[in-house]
Amino acid sequence: MTVPEFLRYDFMQNAFLATTIIAVMGSLVGYFVVLRRQAFGSHALSNIGFAGAAGASLIGAEPMVGLLVFVLGAALLMAWSGRNVGERDVSVGMILMFSLGLGALFINLYSANANAAIGILFGSVFGIDASQIRWITITSLVVLAGLVAIFRPLRFASLNPDAARARGIPVSLIDTLFLLLLGAASAIAVPVIGALLSFAIFIGPASAAQAWSGRIGVGLALTVLLSLVESLGGLIISYYANLPASSCIAALSFGLYALSRMTRYASPGFFLPRLRG
Amino acid sequence: MADEPLIRAQRIAAGKGAASVFEALSFDIAPGSFTALVGPNGAGKTSLFETLLGLVPLRAGKLTVMGGRPRRARRYVAYVPQASKLLNDNALIGREFVSAAYHAHRWGMPLPFGLRHQTQAVDEALETVEARDLARRRLSTLSGGQRQRLLIAQALVSDPSLILFDEPLSQLDPAARDRVVSVADVLTRRGIAVIFSTHDVNPVLRVCDQVLYLAGGRGRAGRVDEIICDRTLSELYGTPMRVISEEGRRFVFEGSQRRLQAVGQ
Repeated sequence: MTVPEFLRYDFMQNAFLATTIIAVMGSLVGYFVVLRRQAFGSHALSNIGFAGAAGASLIGAEPMVGLLVFVLGAALLMAWSGRNVGERDVSVGMILMFSLGLGALFINLYSANANAAIGILFGSVFGIDASQIRWITITSLVVLAGLVAIFRPLRFASLNPDAARARGIPVSLIDTLFLLLLGAASAIAVPVIGALLSFAIFIGPASAAQAWSGRIGVGLALTVLLSLVESLGGLIISYYANLPASSCIAALSFGLYALSRMTRYASPGFFLPRLRG
Repeated sequence: MADEPLIRAQRIAAGKGAASVFEALSFDIAPGSFTALVGPNGAGKTSLFETLLGLVPLRAGKLTVMGGRPRRARRYVAYVPQASKLLNDNALIGREFVSAAYHAHRWGMPLPFGLRHQTQAVDEALETVEARDLARRRLSTLSGGQRQRLLIAQALVSDPSLILFDEPLSQLDPAARDRVVSVADVLTRRGIAVIFSTHDVNPVLRVCDQVLYLAGGRGRAGRVDEIICDRTLSELYGTPMRVISEEGRRFVFEGSQRRLQAVGQ
């Protein structure tokens, strides 16, 4: 079997592997983020990763550890800080603001390499090494296992929290667990897609899939498919066109989202050529 | 009627803040009965539901639900919130929304090949609330009354013995109201007890077995004509009240005959 040219290099193989794992895991978590209207929280958690990665670089620790510690801590704070969505928006914004301030401080102190900031904010998928692949794989497996474990109560609590609470489902615990899963997912996605561009994987594919299907099973499958097309397609375009990978992934994600808005609620037949007159 | 009531409340008091929302409230709920929970806004209808679900602790009195403590009976009690409280841009179809309650207390994920029982339970629930036509429609395209019926179907999927309806008629037009009331009435004929909170008793007059009226921190339960009458309501509100019956409907007014003010309409 011939290997395509772009896969002959180690850095490209690592980039493909990391992107594939993140695309599958991140978009599945993202499906529930969109269902639960927590897009702002998701965006905030990725950006909070900026402070974690910058802080870890400053003290010479593994950036992945810094990312996980910071983002999981922020997820717990968010879960704690208010139940209703309106209340939460403000507290999430405040936590985000504070951690971005910290990140700016860490980058300022770690003046040796200001490019580090760009790498964290916009991703550096071609710089992923084997140790990061290991972190990404293990964390993704944990996140997916967690998502499967809480699937039923999470589905009910997301769609009808009052009825779920009445049924005796521990809705606050489910909320917290989900935020922790989202936090872990965001943390490991930061080096791949970048803190600022996490929407491309977490929100774009899931919201397009929900526009095209009102079924959860179909929606989850479609989400993964769209996410893989966007992120791997973005990588390949970036290789041949010599453009930043994150920009290509973000552009594809936006394009598919825009298409989904325009064709929302269309039946599957809308996309098929008419066979009969 | 069965000897053992589904719920027995004896002089219960409950509330979240410093003061109790209601005190010395006593009533029984029989299996398969229809109870209208009536009272002005803030009288404690929602607090009573939370007490029955064990979400708010009792301050006084004795309360048994299905022969035990309320928290232990929660799996047999379903709560139907107001349709307007749900997200109205939900992109899921009716069937998915209803399915979400199936085995929701279990951990894990349903496998695609084990869905026969779920499909059957959801079909039955949709049939009961006359919502088969909503199964494939997106929630975001449905009216308030249609969503309310899907909420009831979702409650049915968990196979409850008692369903608590929280103001299901608010923000519905009269036709949708009648439809929700008749669906709730059908449930009682299947042996499911219904407690139906509403600030206007008239839409449920023809179907309810008893009225539980909350006002002024007190409450009384009994037949419609025992409760919606001048004497009982005057006691509850602590001020002279008048009930006027007209064409089978009852209108509650505050004050003496000379100056009447409509209440709870």
